[in-house]
Amino acid sequence: MILQTTREDHLIAWLTALAITIHLAESALPSPLPGVKPGLANIITIAVLVRFGWRVAAWVGVLRVLVGSLVLGTFLSPTFFLSFGGAVASIAILGLASLVPGRPFGPLGYSVLSALAHMAAQFGVAYYFFIPHAALLHLLPVLMTAAVIFGIVSGTIVAAMFRSSEKRC
Amino acid sequence: MRPGDLLVLLLAAVLVSYLYLAFWGPGTAGEYAVIHANGSEWQKVSLHEEHEWQVPGPLGTSTLEVRDGRIRFSDSPCQNKACIHSGWLSHGGEAAACLPNRISVQVIGRDRRYDSISF
Amino acid sequence: MKMLHRHIAFACLALLLALLTACSREEPVHHIQLLTFGTIVDVTLYGVEADRARQVFAAVEEDFKNMHAAWHAWKPGPLARVNELLATGEAFSAPPSVLPLIVRSQELARRSGGLFNPAIGRLLALWGFQSDERPPGPPPAPDAIAALVAARPSMDDLIVDGVTVRSTNPAVRLDFGAMAKGYGVDLVIDHLRQMGIQNAIVNAGGNLRAIGRRGDRPWRIGIRNPRGPGIIASVEVQDDESVITSGDYERYFEYEGVRYHHILDPRTGYPTQGVAAVTVIHDNATEADVASTALLIAGVERWHETARALGIKQVMLITSDGTIHMSPAMAERIRFETEQPPHVIRSDPL
Repeated sequence: MILQTTREDHLIAWLTALAITIHLAESALPSPLPGVKPGLANIITIAVLVRFGWRVAAWVGVLRVLVGSLVLGTFLSPTFFLSFGGAVASIAILGLASLVPGRPFGPLGYSVLSALAHMAAQFGVAYYFFIPHAALLHLLPVLMTAAVIFGIVSGTIVAAMFRSSEKRC
Repeated sequence: MRPGDLLVLLLAAVLVSYLYLAFWGPGTAGEYAVIHANGSEWQKVSLHEEHEWQVPGPLGTSTLEVRDGRIRFSDSPCQNKACIHSGWLSHGGEAAACLPNRISVQVIGRDRRYDSISF
Repeated sequence: MKMLHRHIAFACLALLLALLTACSREEPVHHIQLLTFGTIVDVTLYGVEADRARQVFAAVEEDFKNMHAAWHAWKPGPLARVNELLATGEAFSAPPSVLPLIVRSQELARRSGGLFNPAIGRLLALWGFQSDERPPGPPPAPDAIAALVAARPSMDDLIVDGVTVRSTNPAVRLDFGAMAKGYGVDLVIDHLRQMGIQNAIVNAGGNLRAIGRRGDRPWRIGIRNPRGPGIIASVEVQDDESVITSGDYERYFEYEGVRYHHILDPRTGYPTQGVAAVTVIHDNATEADVASTALLIAGVERWHETARALGIKQVMLITSDGTIHMSPAMAERIRFETEQPPHVIRSDPL
């Protein structure tokens, strides 16, 4: 039996593969809180959101974490729950933001929102499920600052991607 | 940049500065302890600054030492020294007292891990 | 239809932001620490306004002061008067503040097989534990201890008839130290409920009873490590439970390198050995307080049968070498907070 695949499925698969590559590269980066990462793979999610809509972006976001953790061998480990929590939160906030009347957000706005949600959720998961220690709260402002910076960076990259592709067209 | 992006950046800036104020601002440096003397609050002390506090009581002066985020009675004019034997306190909710000298100390944790302690 | 979706989404986004800022709001928790009742008294209230909390704290402080005066074992007051009258062997009418303790402790002493024995006041005085500050010095002479043990003071020596009480044994001298804190906590909890308080912890010298919850979560109680700093374990309690610990570290003196603590075995007249602390979880604090002392005296060999006789289901006993014995009902809910998990022996169900 041949599994029927749609154009969208192919798209999702390609983009997910791309996101996983970034996800893997990122997992090698050091972090003050093990498992809490800047979320550069967000670049793909945001680009997909802007270009193909929230549905595809959500698929890419979730698949990226699932497949990425299988590749890294962290499936169902604390790291996985951190990434998964982050991905779900960022997809959720992107979904809400993209429904706001008048579509006021561009890649930068989406990216910063998503990075903040991503970091806040990871922190929440880490704090409530793994290390409920007061010292951790001390890290929160730094981590959220990092999230804003990485959000701006990713958002700018996405915006630049679209600008250059527009020029070529 | 879209108008919404600007709004997001603005909100992000507000959120982050708020977090710094809340978790790094004055009086929030981790945990602190409240020292009571003779039935009323004598002083709130930070557990992040090494210091020896001289607290007056009816029998004389008790000394409370703060070091490495912990506090303890290091000297007291009472006889049984139960307060000193209580040792270091570091968790939110932990307490020790010198009953004869009517001085007590309780650690107030940021996360207040325990609402009360059975001892 | 689509517009409706968008409005809902916008509302959700706004709500999310509101939640972020709401995290910092002060929680309606009020807390006071009092030095009264011969110990540190800690009262925590949840879900009341600050003004109301102040009124409640004042009432609670008054309660503890009154109980302290009524039940003090060695300062002039109702209990001291009762002790003088018991020594005469004549019948007398007991003060209403003391009579309920006599009646209640008689029953509990019987059920504990005499391990909980508030009639050994003279023994406690001999050891110097009936004073705010024991002057330094050696433990009492062995024959003095033996003489007081041989006199066998017991709660069964008291004959209670209505409000009159008589002692058939002149050696009886009451000291409710092993029960008064729990009993006092129970009375204060009753009083709090009369005042309309539904969520609270009353902790008198480490003996606590918690009612209700702390908002959306249960109360979190830490249990002190008897051999070292900090907390050995924690437990979540709600609705109405008492967590009471007796330990050999609470009051003691040292003489020539030997430590003598305040929990005396009424059968030998000496401080108990082998058990560092016993924690009991039970509904009312009086029984939990009595049980924690009785089980500590019962020791590793007999704590199980003593707990059964007292109707206690949840027990954690920590021996002097750090081994932990637990009833299954306790083991199910306790969470260890130490870096290394301790050595735990689970007992048969109680």
